[in-house]
Amino acid sequence: MQHKEDSPGTRREIRSKYRELILSVQKNREDMLSASNNKLTEVLEKANKLFQDVRQPREAALDAQLLVVTTDLGNEKASQLSAEGASFDSVAFTEHLLSYMGLKRLTNGEDGQQNGAAFGYLPQDAWQKVAQRAENCFRAAPSFHYMMGSFHAEPPSPKQRIERQRKAPTKEVKRMMPTQLKKMGDSHQEATEKEVERILGYLKKYYQDDPTSPIFYYEFVIDPNSFSRTVENIFHTSFLIRDGLARMYLNSDRLPCIAPVEEGEVEAGGSSIRKQCIVSISPKLWKEIKEAYDIRNELIQPE
Amino acid sequence: MMSHRKKPSNAHGSSQSTSNAGPTATQEEEDDATFTQPSTMQVQKGLEKLTPAQVDQKTAEVVQYFLVKDQKKIPIRRADLVKHVVKEYRNIYPEIMKRAARTFDQVFGLKMVEIDPKNHLYILINKLEPVTGASPITNPTNPKLGLLFVILSVIFMKGGVVRESVVWKILKNLGVDIGEKHEEFGDSKKVVIEEFVRQRYLEYVRIPHTEPVEHQFRWGQRAEVEVSKPNILLFMGALHGQEPQSWSQQYQEAHRAPNSSQSGTSSQR
Repeated sequence: MQHKEDSPGTRREIRSKYRELILSVQKNREDMLSASNNKLTEVLEKANKLFQDVRQPREAALDAQLLVVTTDLGNEKASQLSAEGASFDSVAFTEHLLSYMGLKRLTNGEDGQQNGAAFGYLPQDAWQKVAQRAENCFRAAPSFHYMMGSFHAEPPSPKQRIERQRKAPTKEVKRMMPTQLKKMGDSHQEATEKEVERILGYLKKYYQDDPTSPIFYYEFVIDPNSFSRTVENIFHTSFLIRDGLARMYLNSDRLPCIAPVEEGEVEAGGSSIRKQCIVSISPKLWKEIKEAYDIRNELIQPE
Repeated sequence: MMSHRKKPSNAHGSSQSTSNAGPTATQEEEDDATFTQPSTMQVQKGLEKLTPAQVDQKTAEVVQYFLVKDQKKIPIRRADLVKHVVKEYRNIYPEIMKRAARTFDQVFGLKMVEIDPKNHLYILINKLEPVTGASPITNPTNPKLGLLFVILSVIFMKGGVVRESVVWKILKNLGVDIGEKHEEFGDSKKVVIEEFVRQRYLEYVRIPHTEPVEHQFRWGQRAEVEVSKPNILLFMGALHGQEPQSWSQQYQEAHRAPNSSQSGTSSQR
């Protein structure tokens, strides 16, 4: 008899039964906590019986572990007993709260006992509604935010810097510009190149007519009849500058002038000293320059 | 009289030296440890060396720091305050805090409260008691407040401690499943156990001997001073169609005389 009890098989069996009990307590926690049954007591009774067969420390350790787990549960179960006052039923609470939130139940729920938002849907502002009602339970400090005025305190200089960078000539970037503006296929890139060629032609012609007399830049690009064509002229002329086919300079009166670059002077790419500038024009400015220079006829004939 | 403070368990040497190595957590402890509360004598002497304008300016900076930090409802650490704002004025720290508290009180109607005397954490709360019943003004509120309110109410009604599984189950019944992305709250579990905990509205503590690991929720230090238990009961009563007094235990708890943790007087420390 003694021999059988001490066999490794029996020992293993006892340990396994303990583990089973521990597992069942952990898994069925909610169930065991319920005041409506005695499952916890049953577990303890089983444990008591098992303990009679415990011989080795290993088994005793498991017994101790089971004791810890069940005591924990017992503690919680005891705390649920309230001697007085209404109990707080979380199921009822959620039901009431869902009604308050405006839950719309699905009409064909045959199991009328089921609760929870899973059997309906909440309106969009449901949680907002709760939040608003809850606000008066909080002595929260209102969130502090600056009342931003109408003036924007940031300096505009960063923007200008970006523009300058964009103007920095790399052949690829410039080539992108026409396609972006026209948003169409290669034909328009060719059209731009054609236009640039044409303008170069005008420039050369005027220069050759009188090489000693400088051509005023604004006189060259402005079309007194069309602001948009003026802008296009400025745009196309900039390609000439970029490609080193024309140059701009300031004359003795500090007025911008433009002249074609002599054959032989043309240096491909960026080997010459490059300077960058931004030319801007607005309808107002266009009118002012027109009057100041007394420009009546466009030097660059429209196509 | 300088009080001797416990040397922090830091391998990098004495608490007086500025250690430039080491994790940030210990660094903050160090910063706090290097800050010893100046005596009244020291404060007096310190004030004599400064103009009123300088003290006012520093006070205003502290006030602004608090207000901005409070936007996210994250408690303010004394160590951060001293390191980033007070700086060389730390010898008159108590005077600055006193003035800041007065400013909050008189200008903003707010109370500066030290919710954690051990770790020196501060929050701002409203001086005014909340309106009982529904507010007549409806301005847009953060729906997260509703979520927080539900959890706080459940914890309170259930005696102050609740297992996390209970909370998750209730939320699920309200359409907030922590296993799924919620339309309004996103990762709702994260909001609850990270955001609300960091704000000190909730405490999320491991229960020993649980396998798999389970946690329980309690009210956090902020909730203790900021949330009105009587008003929660009023809402519960309205919701259930019962008198708040019917929950006698909770009613007692809600109306008991405020103890030291609830009295929210601004601290000078």
